[in-house]
Amino acid sequence: MIFNTFAYFALFLVPAAIVFRLVRPAFQPWTCLLFGAGFFVYFSLTQVGGAPGAFCLAIFIWESIFSRFYRPRSWICLVGIAQTILFLVIFKYWNFFTGLVCAPLGRNPLFWRGAFLPLGISFFTFEFIHYAVDRYRGTAPRGKFGEYLAFILFFPTMVAGPIKRYQDFRPKLIHPSLAWETDWRQGITRILAGLAKKFAVADLLTALTDHLNHADIAKAARWVLPIWLLAYGMKIYADFSAYSDIAIGSARLFGLRVPENFDWPYLRTNIAQFWKHWHMSLYRWLVDYVFIPLGGSRTSPPRVYVNVLITMLLSGLWHGAGLNFVVWGLWHGMLLCAYRLWSNWRQTPLASATVPGPALITVAGLRMTGLEPVGPPRPLPVPAACPQLCAAGEVAETRTVRRPNAQVTEEAGWDNPKHQVFSEHRQVPGEGPVSWCAKLAAWGLTFVLVNLGWAFFCMDLPTSLFFFRRLFLG
Amino acid sequence: MKILAWAEMFCEYLGGSRDELPPGAPAFLATWWFAGLWWGLLAVTILLFCGQTSKFIYIDF
Repeated sequence: MIFNTFAYFALFLVPAAIVFRLVRPAFQPWTCLLFGAGFFVYFSLTQVGGAPGAFCLAIFIWESIFSRFYRPRSWICLVGIAQTILFLVIFKYWNFFTGLVCAPLGRNPLFWRGAFLPLGISFFTFEFIHYAVDRYRGTAPRGKFGEYLAFILFFPTMVAGPIKRYQDFRPKLIHPSLAWETDWRQGITRILAGLAKKFAVADLLTALTDHLNHADIAKAARWVLPIWLLAYGMKIYADFSAYSDIAIGSARLFGLRVPENFDWPYLRTNIAQFWKHWHMSLYRWLVDYVFIPLGGSRTSPPRVYVNVLITMLLSGLWHGAGLNFVVWGLWHGMLLCAYRLWSNWRQTPLASATVPGPALITVAGLRMTGLEPVGPPRPLPVPAACPQLCAAGEVAETRTVRRPNAQVTEEAGWDNPKHQVFSEHRQVPGEGPVSWCAKLAAWGLTFVLVNLGWAFFCMDLPTSLFFFRRLFLG
Repeated sequence: MKILAWAEMFCEYLGGSRDELPPGAPAFLATWWFAGLWWGLLAVTILLFCGQTSKFIYIDF
């Protein structure tokens, strides 16, 4: 809800965007934070958490005060990170973790019956941690008190992202776009397109996805099961990308650009590319604040695989307090490891000499992992802000216009042994002409693997295992 | 592939995530009256399908 309620538009978005545009620049951050605080309290009271949820506005106030003491290399930043994680663990994982610990007892004496989730806690946690870490690293400015409060209470992105970065958001807040006409036109289009996607696609698919439960799976014909799962894969994409569209369009009404979250992920031909275009703000956060601190790609090869698995496991756990989410994260972690294994193997001379080009099925398998049959890496012939088509007719892998807060870092991501993941002009290993059939097969395989993973996401673990048993064994 | 890339850009323009029309697209698509028409179409779609009231998946899932 929230973004598809009349109250969101009438009470918050339109008034806030107009006031933000009309007041003097010095008051613009305060406009954001006042409307953001009102938004948090209103929707906590009416939809999530009730009065205790509304009281959690204190978390934002505490964070904004505490973060004033952050300094580069200061232990206070580490305390800030710890307390933010503590908030998340208490509110989101208390019953899950105590349940696991107390499982041998057969009951959970520590069970919190009145447990509730403060509105947007899963997402504002990311921004709190980002700020603490980047202040510790010295890569984020301190900014003014009101500016940081406006950053964390900016309501279009408060509830479910996209996850912002302070060093990216603050300059835009201080100097928002003055192109009213373009901003409102594009913003309104984006919001309407998002709402249409949500109502006409995502909600319509609910009729199919509602069947993903033990009782329906038990009595359904076998051929129906993949259709239901595919419907869920489409639904979650339409739903979350619609949400992101509305959030990004809403921010645009203020004259502020926030990060993109999706870039045609289901069209990607390998799992690493999928992740780089699915929930992009989360992907970048995970790389910067989990994968790289764990050692990234610059440790021993076995450790890199462990890092990937840990990162994806945490990603799964963040998505929900349940074992099914853990398995979902590990599923993607294993797929990424398989991709990386293949990627490394392919770049050895032996692989180049032995991989047969003409064998289509082999090519398809290679494409699944993002690699073409043979040939050394070659740079994309695309300059910085140029059209997104390169000479070979391939869509460029990086798009400066779609990544407003992309951070150029020399550290490696989890999918590229050449340490070029976040380079704006990365090399694509073995990028070159490949047949349409091979591309189609690679896309199909990636699509199937990703959609199989959704089974763990949308059902509890016993039900998802039962689903697979019925799907594959009848 | 170029056609697909063009179609991708065109969809992004219609969806509001791209400010400029893809090269070669008819200029009338960038006019206000077309925007009004497009908004009307989207609004009709929204009105036709709204009321199913399912929450967004990613909100406090």
